[in-house]
Amino acid sequence: MSESMLPIIEVKNIVKRFGDRAVLDGINVVIPQGKITVIMGGSGCGKTTFLRHLIGLHTPTSGEIWVDGKNIAGLKEKEMNEVRRKFGMLFQGSALFNSMTVGENVAVPLKEHTDLSAEIIRIIVRVKLELVGLTGFDDFMPHEISGGMKKRVALARAIALDPKIVFYDEPGAGLDPITASMIDRLILDLSKKLNITSVVVTHEMKSAFRIADQIIILHKGKVLQVGTPQEIQNSKNSYVQQFIQGESEGVIPFKQTSEAYLKGLLET
Amino acid sequence: MKTFAGKTGQAILFVLAGVARLSTLGATVGRYVAESFIRPRVIPRETFFHQMVMIGIESTAIISLVGASVGTVLALQAAYSLKTFGAIMYTGSLVSVAMTRELGPLIASIVICGRIGARMAAEIGTMMVQEEVDALTTMGINPIRYLVLPRCLALALMLPCLTVIADMMGMLGGFLIGITGLGINPYVYIAKSVDAMVLKDIYTGLLKSFIFSILIALVSCHQGLSVSGGADAVGKATTQAVVISIVLIIVVDCLATAVIYYALPT
Repeated sequence: MSESMLPIIEVKNIVKRFGDRAVLDGINVVIPQGKITVIMGGSGCGKTTFLRHLIGLHTPTSGEIWVDGKNIAGLKEKEMNEVRRKFGMLFQGSALFNSMTVGENVAVPLKEHTDLSAEIIRIIVRVKLELVGLTGFDDFMPHEISGGMKKRVALARAIALDPKIVFYDEPGAGLDPITASMIDRLILDLSKKLNITSVVVTHEMKSAFRIADQIIILHKGKVLQVGTPQEIQNSKNSYVQQFIQGESEGVIPFKQTSEAYLKGLLET
Repeated sequence: MKTFAGKTGQAILFVLAGVARLSTLGATVGRYVAESFIRPRVIPRETFFHQMVMIGIESTAIISLVGASVGTVLALQAAYSLKTFGAIMYTGSLVSVAMTRELGPLIASIVICGRIGARMAAEIGTMMVQEEVDALTTMGINPIRYLVLPRCLALALMLPCLTVIADMMGMLGGFLIGITGLGINPYVYIAKSVDAMVLKDIYTGLLKSFIFSILIALVSCHQGLSVSGGADAVGKATTQAVVISIVLIIVVDCLATAVIYYALPT
């Protein structure tokens, strides 16, 4: 990583346990400002849990999370809400408020956190919807638009307060390849135009290599490898190779050997 | 015996834990209500007015119907017993006192519990499932302030109003059946009704309905907020919201009546 990349998020040795199971097991990560960082890993590797720690929805069992010069691990709600104003978050299922129109959805953070008049809020909402390519959709209800459009509305809502950092949880999940690549374009665009730091959680290789400045691969709650897309592509690590090639047989076996299977069955 | 004691202990702990969680939620809402006197913006106005319309105006018809029916039934049943003492003209007194003290608040609360409590639990529960509540949190908006507070306030304002309507309609139902079916002189009916009531009957009834409204709102929102999982959990939360609210309403009604009419000096 070049020296010009200033870290905006620094995660120091966080551990999260649910009961006896350590979902995150000592993660150290640096996320540079103004870049797109993609967090990858197989299902259940803890990547969503990791993301939820970054936005303060979970508190780590131990460790520190420094966001823009503040340790958010165990921060009080009021202070946390101050930090959260620097965030935008795009949820996997969009999480639009179903009882409100598209325009009202985008206006929620503006109404709650600013003293702007209704007129100005309406203008800002239009600008944000324009940014995601949804001009003129203000009065639609969320159930009247497609899944891809919902994602874009959710993105407009996430950037309503001009955040420094936007988190994306599986932005391409449940979308067709064309719409998914459109969302990728948007992420790239926003990151460049507005100089936003983006943190993207995904397991889609294509999308990851298309947008990433830095890729972090998680495996079983640990960081397996950090690097540029190039470095990841040429990785010597066999798990990383299996992951990016998308093969079912490899270091992580799909089938167990017959002895292991028998042993597993007889275990009590 | 041992398992029985264990199970009883568990049940008691379960109930206590529930009461503790409800009190925590209630305390948080209370803090926001106090804060709203200094900063009125704390209350999300749109949701508040929307809820008031939904709870108040849209429930008027059903509350009127149920209130009138209860009043009618009460008059008919009371007349049956009073006739044996030749005291049929006291039907009006009985209906008016019973409606304002007890049945008005109770009937209004139970109807609203089914109509609004279930709706609150299902709505907030679904929002939990679809990450909308998480979205609020990440926007730095406290879900209790944004979702629970306006619902509590709207219900606390509207349920006493609906109780007045239920009281009135109940008395009207009793009056109509009294002067037609039972053949009581209208003037006598009204005079007896008014004579029997004192102001305390009305305001204790309204006070009860206010307490019930807080119970319904807190229980329903709490059930909604504790949903995790999917459609199954939402269904369970909705049922629980209604059942727990109704049980609590009746238990609290019992206690309140005992305190108001027997423990306090008259």
